[in-house]
Amino acid sequence: MKITVSLSPPPREMQIGVIFAVTGILSLLVAVYKQSEVLAFIGLGLTLWGVLFFLVRPVMYVRGSLLNPASEPLYSTIDRILNDSKYEGRALYVPPYPKRAYLPEHLKGLKETVVFIPAGSDTVPPPIEEMATGKFMTQNPKGILITPPGSDLMDQLEKTARIDFTKTSLEDLCDILPQQILENFQLAKEIEMKAENNQIQLKISDSIYTDLYRDETLKSLKLLGCPLVSAVACAIAKATGKTVSLQKITTSPDAKTVEVSYSLVEAQK
Amino acid sequence: MNFPMSFSDISLWLAVMAIMLLVTSELLTSSTGPLRNLAIEKNRLRLLALALGLGFIITVIMRAFNYT
Repeated sequence: MKITVSLSPPPREMQIGVIFAVTGILSLLVAVYKQSEVLAFIGLGLTLWGVLFFLVRPVMYVRGSLLNPASEPLYSTIDRILNDSKYEGRALYVPPYPKRAYLPEHLKGLKETVVFIPAGSDTVPPPIEEMATGKFMTQNPKGILITPPGSDLMDQLEKTARIDFTKTSLEDLCDILPQQILENFQLAKEIEMKAENNQIQLKISDSIYTDLYRDETLKSLKLLGCPLVSAVACAIAKATGKTVSLQKITTSPDAKTVEVSYSLVEAQK
Repeated sequence: MNFPMSFSDISLWLAVMAIMLLVTSELLTSSTGPLRNLAIEKNRLRLLALALGLGFIITVIMRAFNYT
């Protein structure tokens, strides 16, 4: 077996940083030797910019266009499951229990957000015992339980915002979430989110997942939403503690604008 | 051999650099044009700008209380 390891040269921003820092330090040394104020200013400036090149260089960035091909197989797999089982209900995002809440060992599975796709038009998720055991298929009501495509993205949004969504009101979430998605993750160009009564409207323009919506054959995409739409649904479920039903996803003809309508499902007594 | 810059020179340099970096980081964060795709750690840039600004304030306080 032959293993080839290739060492890539240091990134260009690091090379520039080294050049700036070395020139700056040399300039500072000469400034002290010659007692030159101008050289000292130049040296300080160059050293700072050298350090800056090291500090602000990206840790790891990948092309956004790679995200769509990476997500497509997930939706194709869900499509296969749905086509095979003939389940056609609306997706229900079931809220998780707060991470710090005490739960007995057999109910630990309830700390993860899950999405329930019922066989028919049911709006009630399965009992917690069934969800806690990590079941895939449920019998009463009939349907499947899967991990939402945007659950990890929601975790990242929560981590970056340093906010526990379980302690956030829906109104605050409508302010925080678009800001986080736009400023920290740059996943879209424009986002509008508003809540009225039990309805939440979301409008996303030029999202990074636009290409996914261009594929008309993906049935599960219209059911669960792209990872971004799914992450918002998870966040709403977590903040309100109520089951969220994804009512409708409308896309513009060029698929650049996506409008999503969520509704909160009241627990049945 | 002494360092050729006086305390007020360093204070001025810190202020100018802090302003430049703060303006840059604000423009980069709120930009919706091609600048928003600039792949750099914008939060670190802002932190560095704030650190320089803090450095300037410290020098001003030191001068106000005649520590130099």
